Amino acid sequence: MLNLTIPLAWHYVWQEFRQPHQLLLRWVQAVLMVFIVTLSLASNTIQTYLEGNLQNLLGADAVLTQKANLTKEQITVLAGHSENVVKTSQIDATLTFNTKWQRTKLKAVGRDYPLQGQLLTSTSVLASNDNLAEVTHGGPKLGNIWLDSRLFASLSAVMGDVINVGEHRFVVSRLLVHEPDRLMEGHNVAMRAIINIEDMEKLAFAADLIQYRYLVSGTKSQINQLMQWQKQSLPAAKIHHKQGAHPLALFWQRTENFLGLASIILFFMAAIAIEQLAQLHLKKEQFFSAICMSLGASKVTGLQLSILKWFFNILLLIPVVVVISGICHWLVVNWLSTTFPAISWQLEAGLMAKTITTSVLLFAVFHTPVWLTLWQTSVPKLFQQNRKSISLGLVKLCALVVLVLVAFKYSDNGLLTLMLVGSIFITILLLVAISWAALTFGEKATQRFSGLIPFSLFMMKQRLLSKSTQILGIGLSTFLLLFTLMLLRDLGDTMVSYQRTHDGNVMISQADQQQMNAIKEWSMQHGIDLRQTKPYLYAKAVKINDQALDDFSQKPSDSLATLSRSIRLHWSQTVPDNNRVVQGKWWSKDTDKWQQISLEEEVMTDLGLTLGDTLTFIINQQSFTFTIAASHVYQPGAGSITFWVQMPATAVKHINAPHYNMASLEMDDDQWPLLGQMWRQYPTIRMVSLGELTKQFDNILAMITKVISGFAVMIIFLAVTVILSSINAFENKEKKKNCVIMSFGFLKKTCWQLNVIEWLITAFIIAIGAIAGTYITGMLIYQSQFSLVYQPNVTVLCLTLVVILSTVTLLGVYASRHSLKSSVKQLMADV
Amino acid sequence: MPCSIELTRVSQSFSNADSIITLFENLDLSVQQGQSYAITGPSGAGKSSLLMLLSGLEQPTIGKGNVVTGDHIASLDSIRSEIGFIFQQFHLLPELTALNNVALPLKLRGDKNAINKAQLWLDKVGLGDRAMHKPAQLSGGEQQRVAIARALVFSPKFIFADEPTGNLDQHNATEIADILFECCQQNNAGLIIVTHSHELASKAKHIYGLANGKLTNTSVTTEAHVPENSFENISRDTNQALASTAQKKQVLPC
Repeated sequence: MLNLTIPLAWHYVWQEFRQPHQLLLRWVQAVLMVFIVTLSLASNTIQTYLEGNLQNLLGADAVLTQKANLTKEQITVLAGHSENVVKTSQIDATLTFNTKWQRTKLKAVGRDYPLQGQLLTSTSVLASNDNLAEVTHGGPKLGNIWLDSRLFASLSAVMGDVINVGEHRFVVSRLLVHEPDRLMEGHNVAMRAIINIEDMEKLAFAADLIQYRYLVSGTKSQINQLMQWQKQSLPAAKIHHKQGAHPLALFWQRTENFLGLASIILFFMAAIAIEQLAQLHLKKEQFFSAICMSLGASKVTGLQLSILKWFFNILLLIPVVVVISGICHWLVVNWLSTTFPAISWQLEAGLMAKTITTSVLLFAVFHTPVWLTLWQTSVPKLFQQNRKSISLGLVKLCALVVLVLVAFKYSDNGLLTLMLVGSIFITILLLVAISWAALTFGEKATQRFSGLIPFSLFMMKQRLLSKSTQILGIGLSTFLLLFTLMLLRDLGDTMVSYQRTHDGNVMISQADQQQMNAIKEWSMQHGIDLRQTKPYLYAKAVKINDQALDDFSQKPSDSLATLSRSIRLHWSQTVPDNNRVVQGKWWSKDTDKWQQISLEEEVMTDLGLTLGDTLTFIINQQSFTFTIAASHVYQPGAGSITFWVQMPATAVKHINAPHYNMASLEMDDDQWPLLGQMWRQYPTIRMVSLGELTKQFDNILAMITKVISGFAVMIIFLAVTVILSSINAFENKEKKKNCVIMSFGFLKKTCWQLNVIEWLITAFIIAIGAIAGTYITGMLIYQSQFSLVYQPNVTVLCLTLVVILSTVTLLGVYASRHSLKSSVKQLMADV
Repeated sequence: MPCSIELTRVSQSFSNADSIITLFENLDLSVQQGQSYAITGPSGAGKSSLLMLLSGLEQPTIGKGNVVTGDHIASLDSIRSEIGFIFQQFHLLPELTALNNVALPLKLRGDKNAINKAQLWLDKVGLGDRAMHKPAQLSGGEQQRVAIARALVFSPKFIFADEPTGNLDQHNATEIADILFECCQQNNAGLIIVTHSHELASKAKHIYGLANGKLTNTSVTTEAHVPENSFENISRDTNQALASTAQKKQVLPC
């Protein structure tokens, strides 16, 4: 049976190859497959690269990190669980040289460093290349410091210069090229310096500011025992090991999840385009099946032919997809080589095949309505070409459910996904409501008037069902495009306006009480405006509802990742001015119930917590359990310093832990050099100037711009495809309508005018729906997900309205020009 | 004042790949408002093309067509808005009800009473009770009645019908033909039918044959084969509907 249908299907594939709907279908599927395959290949290359690095560059079999020195007993246990242990420590400090300063990750190592791998240094600043570096054993001598090349450049230092860390002076003796244990510290781009471990002790930084890192080598079982021991005895410590994913891998996974969410939007668009094309495709397939069945073929043969034709069309696409996505993958890998040195491109046929198969299966789901209708139908039904079927709606629903499930699987941020999917549904409802209201009331209101506009409204109202499908398709695409573009623009604007709206141009993220007092005195002395000060202490969450954090959720989550590090725990008697309680009740002043907290709403949602749940924190080596009593959100207008977790002020007297402060300063240009003074005196104050902030923002923005621009191009491309698909789907109907109108004695010009009016009304409904959808999405997502205040600009909205109106109308009129190439004679010929 | 469409020494040809095919040459034809005409002939003879020339929708390769009203001669463009068409495939818009299909030409002309007039016409063709049905819910004969009502509702001076009964069975074809001729006659509209059916053609006052590029007047009936009581040959239902409408409205020209 199949040996007959296969050649027949192949023959018809070529017969229909150049038909517009087949062309559009191939475009949509090819674009989507190229995107998905490139994304999968690129992320896999990065994962493989990171894994390779993990094995070769960890510098230890495991690293135990914590905020306090291990006791002698603990070191004995640690030694018992390992073959060798090397102790290092690390602190964020500011180095000063002449009038320059630079925030640095300052590491202290002994003569036993490194434990594994190669420490590369050089005596020449020019030899920052790995090939010219020397393998070095042991850290710097006492009084010496090694700087990385960026730090050299930033401080304008040369070999032999003497730089200051606090009141201590260090001689720059080598260039630091590579530390083997750096990956275990997580992905950071901070500038780096190394000193001798004994010098660190002399600097006498507050113990709680120092991160103590124990590099351990041992067998797999020893490491497992070590991990057990850490869980029981040192819950606040963190352990990284070769068997587990390292922080950069997790970071990349989250990035990948975001891109996954983006690809879901593209899938939505493609689904709309395919759905629009399916209307026409279904009719053609029905007709073809009817002919086959009328010639004695069975229903199964018709269905087989349809499936085989679809499959052959996909098969023809695959070589093109493989080549293009291979090239795109190569380009992406090249682009990434600046971030991940030595990353290399290689053909990953297995993954490519797997991704293409998954995409093809998803396309098959989108196509199921066509086959299901063919399966359920009979010859008379086929000839009537009645495509209305309950199953059609059901299968569409199935496709939608598949999309939503894929969306949730990809995303690590449940709230963001829910909001985005919710926004899409709201926009769909809005578009349906606006279409119905505009056409119904428009038609009623213009019934008493004569002219082409009332007629267009009448016709559109009569064809409401088919018109709504077109409006929904284009409207949803426009909404997604508009949202992406608006987000890009608003993120950019926020960066620019940050300087103007931010309360202060220097942000202090960590200053202990003594440092804060010094800052207050110093700011008063120099007339520097100290804007706000908020106290906090460091707390590390270890349990949620008595369940260890690691076991709480297997799903990567931003909130969980942040909670697993030390967070800032703020205390306040009353609700801070820049916060608003959204759930529960804030504690009363001087409450005795001090073990309660208010948790930020997004964190609550992301972790699925409710009021009454408990969180256990390790604060200064002691364990405290708090009950969630309230949930708060940030509200703008009263300063930007806000905290995820807040507790009553009365709790402070029960917790013995060092206090820190966050603060913001407003400094004039001529006061900037004074910062050097402050840093020389207190090198561990964590202060960041707006200049540095905006530089970081600029870097982030540049990356976001690249990603979103690429994404926007894809969306624009798909939006145009959706418009073309929907026009293609309606072309025959439109053609017939125009012919019929001409048969009433009207000219082609009238049809053209009607076409323009109809597209204007369509574009108007689409524009209103898309703008309203974007507005709602902005309100929902901006604040909670991007910490942006959504302030729609009326001029921009009006401009957007005009742009959508003109673009959709022009594109619609242009693309439907074929439907105007009709004549009454065609109706006569249409027998 | 009644007008007529006159084609004078018209030829029609078209090029096909490397050859030129001539449908007809030096053809003269005049059709009068209020009269009925049938053009018969084999397939491919150029009947539909002749219909297009008469309606002014296509230009002849040679020769010209005019509209003559008394002494006034105008181009065929001037009558463009006063012609209607009826097709073999009915070509009703599927999303619109029968009533809205009929109201369509009036709505386009900005007629505020479009719906009322459309309802009257549906009554006239016997489909008053099917006004809210969509084309898919109507039989072929019923669809063609709606098409006739739609073509005549804006009182055109000429109706061009291309095989109007070609898709119908014998019984329906007879009914539709009777309604069509009757309505055109009562509306004083010129009716030009292209058909293969001799039975249908025989109902026309003027019958022409088009074959081998030549148009011949095969017969001229003194009276169209429309019975004196035009309702007699129409089906009972239609008859009743038309009669009741006629009674209600006293005089209701078709």
